[in-house]
Formats: sequence, structure tokens, C-alpha cells
Amino acid sequence: MTNSIRSVISTTLISLLSLFALFPFYLMIIMGTYQNEDLFTGIVLVPGSYFLENLKTVMESRFDLVYLNSLFVSITSTVVAVLVSAFAGFAFAKHEFKYKNKIFAAVLLTMMVPGQLGLIAYVIEIRYLGLSGTLLPLILPWVANSFGVFWMTQYMKSAVPNEVLESARIDGCSDFTVFFRIVIAFCWPAMTTLALLVFLWSWNSFLLPLIFINEPELYTIPLAISTLGSAYRTDLAAQVLGLSLGTLPVLILFIIGSKSFIRGLTAGSVKG
Amino acid sequence: MEALRRKWIPYFFLSPYIIFYLAFGLVPILFSLYVSFTSWDGIREKHFVGLDNYLFLFDPNSYFFKSVGNTFLFIMMTLPFQMFFGLLLAVLLYSRFVKWKSFYQLVNFLPYIVTPVAVGLMFNLLFDWQTGFVNKVLMLLGWTNEEIYWLGEPGFARFVIAFMLFWKGFGYIMVFFLAGLANIPKDLYEAAQVDGASSTHMFLKITLPLLKPVTTFILITGIIGGFQLLEEPMLLLGGFAGGASAVVGGPERCCLTTVWNVYDTAFGSTTRYGLGSAIAYGLCMIIALVSITGYKFLNRGEQE
Repeated sequence: MTNSIRSVISTTLISLLSLFALFPFYLMIIMGTYQNEDLFTGIVLVPGSYFLENLKTVMESRFDLVYLNSLFVSITSTVVAVLVSAFAGFAFAKHEFKYKNKIFAAVLLTMMVPGQLGLIAYVIEIRYLGLSGTLLPLILPWVANSFGVFWMTQYMKSAVPNEVLESARIDGCSDFTVFFRIVIAFCWPAMTTLALLVFLWSWNSFLLPLIFINEPELYTIPLAISTLGSAYRTDLAAQVLGLSLGTLPVLILFIIGSKSFIRGLTAGSVKG
Repeated sequence: MEALRRKWIPYFFLSPYIIFYLAFGLVPILFSLYVSFTSWDGIREKHFVGLDNYLFLFDPNSYFFKSVGNTFLFIMMTLPFQMFFGLLLAVLLYSRFVKWKSFYQLVNFLPYIVTPVAVGLMFNLLFDWQTGFVNKVLMLLGWTNEEIYWLGEPGFARFVIAFMLFWKGFGYIMVFFLAGLANIPKDLYEAAQVDGASSTHMFLKITLPLLKPVTTFILITGIIGGFQLLEEPMLLLGGFAGGASAVVGGPERCCLTTVWNVYDTAFGSTTRYGLGSAIAYGLCMIIALVSITGYKFLNRGEQE
């Protein structure tokens, strides 16, 4: 087999899989540009002309407010989770303390525990603390992120040279300054990857808002999408446009960040 | 003084994680264990009932084994295919035969980032028996004369869920294989090439064995992640009209996943918090059992 035949076969295979990956996506975008009736009668494959009308319908259900809620939840979760994980990673990777290995083993163990194990008691705890009816219960579970701690520890071990830390300390920098001036600069790729993941997970989370949020003013995107049917009952096209709009922010984020996301994964190295 | 101060530092950096994990991770997990030994609706008095909830898991009316079985089935129906195609894509992308690598990488990863709720609803539309794209195309091609009732028959519904999950996940797995491939030292291939090894031989003798850690990681996270399955089937079967209030578990509950079962038992059709917690703990025990067996199995292979 010559190289040119190989590259034709490889490219064809990869293009077919890519088409398969893109097709439902493509249909989702296309269907949002049609009038409702058109969706029931025929097969739609090219963009229609009803996009702006559908957009108007969607915006009437306060989609902007839903956006703000989701942005607030995801941005807060991401910033706090990444910072807390990097803090803990710094302790595990660059400090010595009693029971360090045992505590780290415990962190690994918690990664294996399925998230729904404490769900019911978490609901009771939130009620007890009087936090239901706020967006906080959607943020709190992301703060202590064991995967993030493991991730940052592994990365810092190899990416932050001890000599740099030592010389900074000799120059009289406190560990706090060392962390914010030096460690963060070295760990930027891993932090970006972690931030993208936490943003994605919290943006897409559905079970927690489904349990905690009853007031439409506090709806996040997935919850709002799931109730689109009752918002504009028979307007399928507007509902599909709602799906596209809900995906848009993470789509933009990953198109911008995809290079550094994959580089971060590769560098952070999933060594099992 | 200085030594004392230094001693404090790691605990300072560790404390936010520890405090939040204790407060919103460990405390709920332990309290759930206690709740699983009670009969409680969250409002009235708790009654201690011992192992009753756990014994009830063996009763078909708890749908415990049915939901665990369903979830297992979905993992078995998707993970192997996702891993095969994920590896295929990664190897192709990593080879020198394909251009526009980052474009293909991104495109195949995109399904993973779509909100699961939107995925479920979108596939609900595509597989709708009257107006869905799939039936329209099948009829147009003449492959079937009457509409297929995709979401109403247990077998078909399971197939659609597996298909949907495969679509969503193979690009995600590809990314991890890509990361794994990047960590294999290039000089191994160069040395093998000097020795005249074919590319098939190199793939079997170098690539596959050195990908083992990544493969294990994907398997473990894939199984644990698979057990979190909830939104996609819920919205697929409920559609825009039903949302979360859909028929629980689809036709004959063939698509009731374990988390859906926990949700429905505690916050859906009933408010049996005790039983819900017992289902969650039952699942956890099964996962632990599977992981330990799997781990031993993999390690045994290592020693031989």
C-alpha cells in the first residue's frame, strides 16, 4: 500500500466519522431556522428563513435571565473549584506534612465514589441550612473537586521546578506570594483544562437544578430547556432553537479553548 | 518561630478542599447511610427499620436489579464501540496521513459538550415515530413501509439510547487516547522501524501495550460515568411535552437507569428517602465489587 492510498483511506474514514458526529448538531441548528409547520411536513436540510421569528419567541420566555443564572453558577463554580484544587495540589506536590500519602490516597478514593451516593442527604442538608430557593446548592458540590486536586497535583509535580520555588523563598517571598506569582504561571495549561471541564460539567448539570429550583427566575439552561415544551407548547422550531442557544456558550468556549484543552490533557498526562 | 510557621503552610493550602469536602461530600454520604436504615419522607419523624430497605431491594417492585441491569446493559452496549472508534480516530489523527488534525479533533469532540438534556430532546425529535427524521428517511428510501415505533418498544428504545450515548461519547474517549499516544516515546517506533517491523506489528507490540494505563483509566471512568446516566434517557423518552415527568423508565421500565430510580423513589413518584438512599448504597456496593474484581483480573494478566 502506498502512502497516498493510505492517506485517502484514513481521510475518508475520519471524514465519515466526523460527518456522523456533526449531523445531529447540524440538524439542530437547521431546524431552528424553520417555521413550525415545515418541520412536520418534510425533511429539512438547508437553512430556512424563520430564524429571527423563532428567536423572538424564545426571548419572550426570559431566556436572557436563564443565561445569566447559568453563567453565574458556572463561572463561580469554575473559579472557586480551580483555585481550591490548585491550592490543594500545591500542598500535595510541593510540601511535606504528616499523613500526606494517606490523605492523598483518600482523595483518590473519593474520586471513585459515585456522586449520587450522598444526594438525598445533601438535599436535606441544603434544606436544613435554608439554602433552597437560591443558586448556591448548584455551586457547592463543585468546590471540593477530587478530580481537580488529583489533576493539579500530578501537573505541579512535573511542571513546577523546585529550584524556582526555593530561590523565591530565599528572596523572602511567602508561600502565598510564591503560589500567586510563580505556581499559577507554571500551571496555566492544566488550570485551563480543568476550568473548561468544570465549566462544562456545571453548565450541563440537570439533576441538582431539577431537585432544588422551582422558581422560573432561578432556572438554569438545562432546566429551562427541559420545560421549553410548556413555555411555547406547540412551537417545535422555537424549542429546537432553544436547544441550540443553550449549547452556544460551551460551543464557543471549546472552539476557542480546544487547542489548549487537548495540550493540557496531554501535558497533564493521564497516567492512570 | 519560622519552623512552626512553615509547618502550618500545607494545611492552610489544603484546608479549603478538606472543609468543603467534609461539609458537602462526606457528611451527606454518611448521613445517607443512616437514612438508608430508616423509613422517612423527609418531613415526618424518621423510623429506624434496620435492613428492611436493603431487603426490599430484592423485591421486583423496587426495580433495583432491573435498573442496575439496564444501566449495565447500556454501558456494555456503548463503551466497547466508543473505545474502538475512539482509538481508531486517535490513531488516524496521530498518523502522518491525515491533515487538518485540530479541525477533526474539535468536530469529533463536539457531541460531548452538548447539554445532555438537549441531546435527549434532539434524539427524541429525530426518532419520533410520526415526524422524526429517521423514519422519514427510512420510508423515503423504501426500507420500511410503516413508521417504526422507536421509543415505544423496549428493544428499539434501548437501541436508540445506546446509539445516542455512542454518538455523544466516542470523541471524548478519542481525546484521552490522543493524550496517551502523545506520551509514547517516538524512538521506540524508530528503533522498531530500523528492525524492519511492519506498522501492524508496531501497533500490536508497542502502541497497544503502552496505552494500557490510558485504557484502564477510560474503562474505570467510563463505567463510573455510565452509572450516572440520567438526563439523556429521561428527556429522550419524555420529550418536550413530558420533561422530567415522563413515564418513568420508558416502556416496561426497560430504560430505567439507577440514578433515575433513585430520583424517582425519593423526589419523583414517591418520597421514600430511606429506600432511595438504600438504592444508592446498593449501587455503590455493586460498583465496588465490579471494580475490585476487574482490578484483580487486570493485575493477574500482568503477572503472567
